[in-house]
Amino acid sequence: MDVMPLVLSLLYQFGTGAAFLFLAALGLVVILGMMNIINLAHGELMMIGAYTATLTYHAGVPFWLSVILSFFVAAAFGAVLELLIVRRFYGRQLGALVVTWGVSLVLGQGTLLFFGPFLPSIGIPGGSFSYGDFSFSAYWLILVLISLLLILGLWWLYNRTPYGLQAKATMQNADMARSLGVRTPLIYTLTFSLGAGLAGLSGALLAPTVTIAPFMGQQFVAPAFITVVVGGSANVIAGAVASSAILAAVKTPIGMAFGAFSGTVALLLAALIIIRIMPNGISASLQKYFNRRAGGAMR
Amino acid sequence: MELNAAIETRSLNKRFGGVVAADNVNFKVLSGELRCMIGPNGAGKSTLFAMLCGLESADSGQIFVFGQDVTRTQAFKRVRLGVGLTFQTNRAFHDLSVRENLTIPRASAKQENMEVGQARLAFALDAFGLDPNDQTKAGELPHNQLQWLEMAMILVGYPNLILLDEPTAGMAPEETQQTAKVLKHLNSTGLTTVVVEHDMAFVKDIAQTVTVLHQGQVFAEGSVAEITAHENVRKIYLGRA
Amino acid sequence: MKTIIGLISGGGDIGRTRVFWIGFGVIVLLFLLYPTQTSAFRVSNVSYYLLNIPLGLGMALLWGYCGVLSFGHVAYFGIAGYTYGVIAGNMTENPLGPLAGVAGGLLASAFIAGIFGYFVFYARVQKWIIPILTLVLTLLLETFLGQTAGYQWRIGSVLLGGYNGMTGIPWFQLGGFVFEGYSFYYLCLFVVLACYFSLRMLVNSNFGQVIVAIREDEVRTELLGYDIRARQWVVFVLSAMLAGLSGLLYVQWGNYITPSQVGLLQAALPVIWAAVGGTTSLLAVVISAFTLNWVTYTLSSQGNQYAMVIIGTLLVVTMLFFPRGIVVMVAERLGRLTTRRTAPSKP
Repeated sequence: MDVMPLVLSLLYQFGTGAAFLFLAALGLVVILGMMNIINLAHGELMMIGAYTATLTYHAGVPFWLSVILSFFVAAAFGAVLELLIVRRFYGRQLGALVVTWGVSLVLGQGTLLFFGPFLPSIGIPGGSFSYGDFSFSAYWLILVLISLLLILGLWWLYNRTPYGLQAKATMQNADMARSLGVRTPLIYTLTFSLGAGLAGLSGALLAPTVTIAPFMGQQFVAPAFITVVVGGSANVIAGAVASSAILAAVKTPIGMAFGAFSGTVALLLAALIIIRIMPNGISASLQKYFNRRAGGAMR
Repeated sequence: MELNAAIETRSLNKRFGGVVAADNVNFKVLSGELRCMIGPNGAGKSTLFAMLCGLESADSGQIFVFGQDVTRTQAFKRVRLGVGLTFQTNRAFHDLSVRENLTIPRASAKQENMEVGQARLAFALDAFGLDPNDQTKAGELPHNQLQWLEMAMILVGYPNLILLDEPTAGMAPEETQQTAKVLKHLNSTGLTTVVVEHDMAFVKDIAQTVTVLHQGQVFAEGSVAEITAHENVRKIYLGRA
Repeated sequence: MKTIIGLISGGGDIGRTRVFWIGFGVIVLLFLLYPTQTSAFRVSNVSYYLLNIPLGLGMALLWGYCGVLSFGHVAYFGIAGYTYGVIAGNMTENPLGPLAGVAGGLLASAFIAGIFGYFVFYARVQKWIIPILTLVLTLLLETFLGQTAGYQWRIGSVLLGGYNGMTGIPWFQLGGFVFEGYSFYYLCLFVVLACYFSLRMLVNSNFGQVIVAIREDEVRTELLGYDIRARQWVVFVLSAMLAGLSGLLYVQWGNYITPSQVGLLQAALPVIWAAVGGTTSLLAVVISAFTLNWVTYTLSSQGNQYAMVIIGTLLVVTMLFFPRGIVVMVAERLGRLTTRRTAPSKP
């Protein structure tokens, strides 16, 4: 047997695993990093994205357009959620956790009552091709590519646009930003809405790969939260990228050898061990490391 | 008086990003001393306190408490060695009663400190006018009593060394004088005391020795007279006040 | 005895007046007499509302008094329930089997909570991480239990049973006396009262004051000489054992357990009981746990699909408008009314 196909297959498994974790955690990460709030309705926002994509797709909208539509539907939903509820919980992290959990219950159950126990699924677009003894899904490769584009896009958004500048200022010191004329409530609404939209986008992108049901969000909850916990809140985007990569490196071999469930258990164990060593997540440790290096260089 | 160190640091370094909070700090307070520490805002006083009691870890260097290397010791274990600390912003439990504030602190297991510790606590409570059975919420106390409450709380643990971060901040002159009186008395019973203070009148009143921190470094050290006469100290600190 | 009374009536919970204790006594009396006045079916239902109370009390202790939030305490409920099922189910011939099952169940809950607690508390993780990871743990447990269908998932003679769950779990018995029906009701009532009074003593003890101090200000408490990691760990394990106690009573009540008992919907319930009651009062959580179990059980047994929507909405409304809990805020209002009546001279 050739080594090359095996290596490529492992790389493919790793890349898609990391892309899955990154996509699952994306919206959560944006909201945590900018607003220091954990949105427990994250899974349900992904579900809303998946539902929007599925319903519009079956109504005849092209798949990629329906994915974009899901971003806006979930973002609108997020904006409403922020204005009505989340806004009262800034600075009360545990309160925000609990209230968003209440929202998630209502959304999940409400969807069950409204749309029934499941929707017809979307077939995976793009087909697959094989190389050596292994087959590769074109769609998953596209998802890896989209993840990379999203990372670049977020970097651009936060470093090259007026919104990004104002959001970063608000995150560092809301009072100061407000006194400098930044409309911080608007920034909060936009950020939450962006996080919700990204959750919806991820939900839509992953929709062809899963069953479309009211509680489908639950399957993303564990991987998304583990990714965020391991990444930490010091620099969430970098943290999420690093932790998706590390966790995929843990999950891929164990999942291949012992099955998907063992892979997820390995994720939790890895997370527990990583936070025992780095209580504030990978991003905080990275930051500390670079600080020290910078300090050493200056000396 | 024995000439051993209550607390000592050797080449302590700490930085936050680009800010140097401690730059090769060698700081030593002898047992029984009453030391004041001054320095402009951002000089690293509070960070030094945080490292001494274990809330921040140093990037490099060593810390000794009563001759024991505590560089890697958890904060609560340092407290059990006889260290007490009050914070720059008052951190008595505002939602709990005065009584609870004074029953919660852990009494030291060291029996040899008990008699003198009890006497110190009793003296402080009396001088501060605090009733250990008061059911009022601490948050409802006037500011000066709240500050005094936090000082009394750390005395419940019968410490041998207390670190006070701006204990008289926001106090009226007569309250500051009362605080000075109590600190001097406590020190006369052998309680090693380190006080961070901005109020030079207060420092002149109580201090034996003054340490000046500036940009994370020990800038000068000496008697009150020496420090006030020190030209560079006047430049960086006193001149601006 | 005097210290016990002092501890029970200390300031750590609502209700310290003579009127309160008379009312409390009357209500306990009503609960004692209830089985004589109604059908066995209703008694069994009320047993169910009662048996969930220790789980709620564990949440109140952990969240309200210690400031640590767990979203996955049903995991310990499930671990204890399944462990009891396995041990007692394998010892059906032995009258000591159920007792061994109870001991094993509580130990298993404590053990898993102990390991988990070690990682999170001794790492001093940020506050939001604990609820997230506890939730992940219980979701994984549900997934694991869900895939245990089939004959290969068998411990001794007991099948774990996958999504259909474990069935035929034996009743509890002590020295040949089997607790079922009415006697099981009294067992639940006894456990609830015992838990409530023990916890009320605990929160009024020095230990209880220190955990409240940790909730108020972790750093200040540590700098008063306390190992806050150890205290939080102890409270976490204790509350997990309370959840385990509820799990034990649950499997003894229904003689079965399914993985959905540790699923996301069940996991939300104790948090909701605690939030709606008011986390800073044990009694308030007892009242809300009982009432909400009553409401949800009645709604869902009538086939009402809106039960979880209603409960979820209740949680959101409570968090928005009654942040200290509905029962606590009502109790405070009542307390103010009665004090005004007894002391009208005050302006």
